[in-house]
Amino acid sequence: MDLSLSTRTVGDRTVVEVGGEIDVYTAPKLREQLVELVNDGNYHLVVDMEGVDFLDSTGLGVLVGGLKRVRAHEGSLRLVCNQERILKIFRITGLTKVFPIHNSVDDAVAATD
Amino acid sequence: MPATGDGRAPDATDHAGSAERSQSRPGTPQRAAAIPHPRSTPAGGGEPARAAATDFRVLVIEGDGPEHRLFESLAEELGGHAELHRVDGIRAALALLPPTPGAGRRGARYPDFQCVLLDLGAPGELPPGSDGLDALRELLQRAPHTAVVVLTDTAGTGLGAAAVAAGAQDFLVRQDTDGPLLARALRYAVERKRADESQRRLVEAEIRGQENARLQRHLLPTPLLDGAGLSFTRRYRPGRRRALLGGDFYDAVRTKDGRVHVVIGDVCGHGPDEAALGVALRIAWRALVFAGLSGQHLLTTLQHVLEYERRSDEIFATLCMVVLDAPGEQGTPESAELFLAGHPAPLLLGPDAVPMLLPSEQAGPALGLLPCDAAQATWPALRLGLATGWRLLLYTDGLVEGKVGAGSPRLGQEGLIELIADHQAAGLTRGRLVDSAIAEVEELNGGALTDDVAVLLLERNPAPVIMG
Repeated sequence: MDLSLSTRTVGDRTVVEVGGEIDVYTAPKLREQLVELVNDGNYHLVVDMEGVDFLDSTGLGVLVGGLKRVRAHEGSLRLVCNQERILKIFRITGLTKVFPIHNSVDDAVAATD
Repeated sequence: MPATGDGRAPDATDHAGSAERSQSRPGTPQRAAAIPHPRSTPAGGGEPARAAATDFRVLVIEGDGPEHRLFESLAEELGGHAELHRVDGIRAALALLPPTPGAGRRGARYPDFQCVLLDLGAPGELPPGSDGLDALRELLQRAPHTAVVVLTDTAGTGLGAAAVAAGAQDFLVRQDTDGPLLARALRYAVERKRADESQRRLVEAEIRGQENARLQRHLLPTPLLDGAGLSFTRRYRPGRRRALLGGDFYDAVRTKDGRVHVVIGDVCGHGPDEAALGVALRIAWRALVFAGLSGQHLLTTLQHVLEYERRSDEIFATLCMVVLDAPGEQGTPESAELFLAGHPAPLLLGPDAVPMLLPSEQAGPALGLLPCDAAQATWPALRLGLATGWRLLLYTDGLVEGKVGAGSPRLGQEGLIELIADHQAAGLTRGRLVDSAIAEVEELNGGALTDDVAVLLLERNPAPVIMG
């Protein structure tokens, strides 16, 4: 299965909608997208994971890399996710302490903490 | 001697790469005619049934001199399904070759030549400072996988031998050569080149395999458990792309105080860098255990090692560590400490009970995610009581990420618990339990797993019965 990516701007936030499977084969595509956004000056990202069916450790690494990139510009990277099996991966790896995780894109866009 | 699989006649090796033998050959056509080669050279349009497609393309680089009759005779000898491209000089020839070796095989822009026949001309015409082989060297560089045969004149046999030493498959003296002999020499050169190429590829693949095996051996060591009285079953399956090394690692060490330290870990991502980092972490872990460290202190130090050794700051590693206390009196319950750093929790299997996923609420983050100095990264211990007959199953996430049926559903930890329970109920233990469990995970996945998988099964050996 492939990975789908689309981005849109909501206020000062850039929302990246991800669909499909993020694994060792597709993760480079997501990395490229995040790097490009940061290089273009978008430092406040919201990654919408609602359409993600599978996430492996390479995909987690890409999200962590994205977070480190935006933080270098005092930016933020928020996740939108309600899927229990994806949330579980974040919990097991300890990433719930790293990423703010929201129930909806609206919540994530409105969040300022 | 590895099989080259190209149909080369066994005694063809007698001639391979030997300039001296080649030198004597052109002058003795009778002997040359006896050189075996796997394909019969059709004389003037033979084998009409298979003559439709071109199967033999020869690039002829002509020098000065009236050689047209020789090449015409060669064309006639090679038959209808061979193609001769005749060009004047090396420049015109290079224009027909792909700019980078091998490019011609992918695109149709360049004809795929099986053989190049290079006429080196008369040695007397050489410009000062040249040994007469510049054109050959350029040719070999641009077409390293193509057989090259050179033609010299009678005065140039020394040059011909030098050409073979430089990498040509053969040389022939123009005056002693006719169409049939030349055709045979070309066919033979192609077969010899093919044999050399498959030999080279085989050696390269062997070296690569050895390098991977060497790296993997360091990821997956022999545990140091002498005197521990433990059974330690360990399995490792590389992922679907075998060439892609994973960063799964494990180790087990018994320290002098009688405690047994076991670790299983996974560096995120794939490739030699990740595998090398896995080796670095495993050896660092072993060294820290030997140095008397454990728990938070050990994991903090290990995280520092990771931070300094990783090539990119998006790389992290998950890890599960179990420290078994030295066993007390025979038959008394045992105890252990569990540390989780972003790693899936082990399963505790009893001899009868349903497998249980150990708690992970106390787990700390994967190594390399959060800074230690801000006290964000802590890895508290979970005390475990282990009833007699305990077994601990440690694994990397590749095992629970296997698919179950079409689409995206995965086995998950719940699925693994059920699967292990079934296999235990079938009476399987130790190595057979682990093997059959992995086999079913692979079967459910519909073939080898994408990610690599490491699995450890740890249990106390039954006490030897001492006969009074």
